Amino acid sequence: MTATATDLDRLRHALPRDLERSSQHYVVDGVTPAIAFAPNDGSEVAALLHAADEAGLTVAPLGARTATGLGRPLARYDVALDLRGLERVIEYVPEDLVVTVQAGVTLATLQATLREHGQYLPTDPSPGDEVTVGGLLASARSGAWRGHLPAARDLILGMAVALPSGDVVHSGGRVVKNVTGFDMHRMHTGALGALGVVVEATFKLTPLPAVTRTLLLSAANIEACGDLARRVWDASLAVRAITVLGARAADGVMLPPVPAVLVEVAGSPASAERTLRELRSLAPSAGEAPVETWGRLRRLAAGPGATVLRLGIPPAEVETTVAALERSGMAAWAHLAAGVVIARGDIAASEVEALRALAVERGGFLQIEVASAALRKAVDPMGEQERLLVAALKQQFDPRGTLNPGRWGAGL
Amino acid sequence: MATSSTAAPPASPGHPAGHAALVRDLQNALGAAAVLHLPEDLIAFEYDATIERALPEVVVFPATTEDVSAAVRIAEQHLRPVVPRGSGSGLSGGAVPLTGGVLVVLTKMNRILEIDRANRVAVLQPGVINLQLQEAVAPHGLLFAPDPSSQRVCSLGGNVANNSGGPHTLAHGSTVNHVLGLEVVLPGGRITRLGGRLVDAPGIDLRGLFVGSEGTLGIVTEITVRLVRAAPAVRTLVAVFDSVEAASEAVSAIIRRGIIPVALEMLDREIIRLVEPRIHAGYPLDAGAVLLIEVEGLAEGVDADGAAVEEACHLAGAREIRVAHTAAERDRLWEARKVGIGAIGAASPAFYLLDGVVPRTRLPAVMRGVMETSARYGFRVANIFHAGDGNLHPNLMFDPDEEGATARVLECAEEIMRLCVDAGGAVTGEHGIGLEKRSYMEWIYSPADLAAMHAVRVAFGGAERFNPCKVLPGGHGCASGHGAEAMAAIRRGSDSV
Repeated sequence: MTATATDLDRLRHALPRDLERSSQHYVVDGVTPAIAFAPNDGSEVAALLHAADEAGLTVAPLGARTATGLGRPLARYDVALDLRGLERVIEYVPEDLVVTVQAGVTLATLQATLREHGQYLPTDPSPGDEVTVGGLLASARSGAWRGHLPAARDLILGMAVALPSGDVVHSGGRVVKNVTGFDMHRMHTGALGALGVVVEATFKLTPLPAVTRTLLLSAANIEACGDLARRVWDASLAVRAITVLGARAADGVMLPPVPAVLVEVAGSPASAERTLRELRSLAPSAGEAPVETWGRLRRLAAGPGATVLRLGIPPAEVETTVAALERSGMAAWAHLAAGVVIARGDIAASEVEALRALAVERGGFLQIEVASAALRKAVDPMGEQERLLVAALKQQFDPRGTLNPGRWGAGL
Repeated sequence: MATSSTAAPPASPGHPAGHAALVRDLQNALGAAAVLHLPEDLIAFEYDATIERALPEVVVFPATTEDVSAAVRIAEQHLRPVVPRGSGSGLSGGAVPLTGGVLVVLTKMNRILEIDRANRVAVLQPGVINLQLQEAVAPHGLLFAPDPSSQRVCSLGGNVANNSGGPHTLAHGSTVNHVLGLEVVLPGGRITRLGGRLVDAPGIDLRGLFVGSEGTLGIVTEITVRLVRAAPAVRTLVAVFDSVEAASEAVSAIIRRGIIPVALEMLDREIIRLVEPRIHAGYPLDAGAVLLIEVEGLAEGVDADGAAVEEACHLAGAREIRVAHTAAERDRLWEARKVGIGAIGAASPAFYLLDGVVPRTRLPAVMRGVMETSARYGFRVANIFHAGDGNLHPNLMFDPDEEGATARVLECAEEIMRLCVDAGGAVTGEHGIGLEKRSYMEWIYSPADLAAMHAVRVAFGGAERFNPCKVLPGGHGCASGHGAEAMAAIRRGSDSV
């Protein structure tokens, strides 16, 4: 089925003329959409969704396009919805540690605004801060800070979402503690835009730590690194990242190619000083590593050109998984407190399934973060979900399958 | 509790059609001892921690997930509403079976199934009491962060249903931030799992959507929670102020310095006068308000943060600051917080415990409004609340036997809720919407917003008969009007925990 000229005209009539963009700029998985728009606010997004829904056209919401390799390839792609025009910080009250932004604001822009007041949104997703707020929430990928700090979904106080019905619906509010009605915003985090398009979000913020330091701790082998990482975790120090690096991963971030533990110290001057002292006593070899290492690690997890997997593995067993992945030729590393192992390299579909079985057996999961369309067709990228509930929600919020059809698999 | 009769129930004019068949089916599935149906047995289950009453048709005590599933299926077959209930300590009428039906009481499912120290995870059944979990994990140097003031009685299933908070929510977050996975029985009886054993799971955050849904999306039958390490050092201090406003200013001043204490509680003069004679913690009786502040972390950090907090309080006009030097002193200071609500109950024939939330910076203005409003209506008001979160708990004290008092207290409460909403806040921070605040939902949300929430109930399959008349306004056969619903949250003094 393809979009007809009449269908496209219906969309053009729904929005101001100057919002149309050249569809050539929005190729996803090699597919060029029939038409593209870049609206500026939630009501324009809702108007577009409604018009597309009525015309039977499908819409793919796009931000910085850092997560187009997540989920199944689109079953059909008629309309590109570029959300980068939703770029306003709507309200920022530093005294309340609360900010409301449009979904197209990049994390980098947001962090720069917050930094002026000594605050930040404590999340460090891969591939980096170029992700938009909408993409951050729709893809729900955490980084090295997770486990020490909340996930993006835990920082949301309120949200506005445009629906194919043409409504813009709100949930939550601007207060830091709120049980007024369902947490609808949780339904949209990690949903890959399948149930609505996030157009605005309100976050609770955190004061920036006064001191941050990056330390590299070494140990004899990957097993010893795992033990060392857990001793650091158990010491309840002022840290916001404990990452076990396989040799290939260390090499990938320009560190000596041996297994190691990368720790980020973050806290008040007094806490940080004590933490550094404790770390040096736990690992006499501890030395400072370039702060850029974290950015390199996030980019390594971003893929382009390689397959990237995210495995959920209980913290007590992460290093054995890292070791196995590295033996298979991938670069692998683990964010201990979150129980997350990231692996990058080449891997066959059958091996992905075997790894998934291993993770699930341990109470974890496997998600394909970045991969070719072919691999994402061969293997379910997201793994086991509550399919019936997801399908029932899809039926309620997007009954005609207008939004990102197929991204969750057949019919979703 | 009286024991259940195994005899077939007598036909009663008070029962809906098919009552006997319903009871028989439930008895066959769960065993006769797990089913109560005689009027004298049901009376204990007609209310929770509120004064709203409604009699369930049948009460069941499942022992397993399969029992819960069977009870839900049987209720569905008989077209009866299902209402889940834990300890019955809810404060918004969420467990009141307003339209009758089958009350599923989860108190028998009260085992801690697993404590995985290495991965900081515990798995437990929904009837486990919050404090019981805390005591079980403490020897491992771990704790479950949500600690509602009712933690001696409230169940973890109830905490999940209400996304409960507590004094330590400020730094650690509410229940939703500590639930990793759930086993739930959905409307219709299907058993499924949401989330897992790790802090994140791929895909749509269904476990997060479920937490706080107040028993309208299903019944929790197993909970996997995240545990956190107890901090190596903690400092508890009390700052004494001449007025609630000055104390409110200090709250903002502390946060402005980039310090988020783990707890930042306020007790006003009325509360201090009620609790100090009982516990002798040393709270000055002439204080306008005190802040109970706790910072934790490494010893050195606690020293630095503690000093900064003291300075902020002094600058905001604190006339005295006391630091707890021993664990016993700390416990005594916290005792005031914990017995506060009970002390109100002992001092007044009835009281209405309100739960509103405002942006922290609006606290001084809103607290002034709370005092003025209650004075205008002529009610004594006692405030004991989570100031750091902007989460107010004014307690309006009154005598329900006095003519018109109940109506006036509801009016006064509604005005206070309005103040919160007008200040950019919300109508509940931790107690839930339940029955009490369904009508207030329209103050905050548009019809389209509410329709989206309703759509979630439809998707989960329970829109009609699963904990009906809760959370969302409207609904077939539900009473309406602010008065009728808000009445649910009024507490009789003598019954207070």
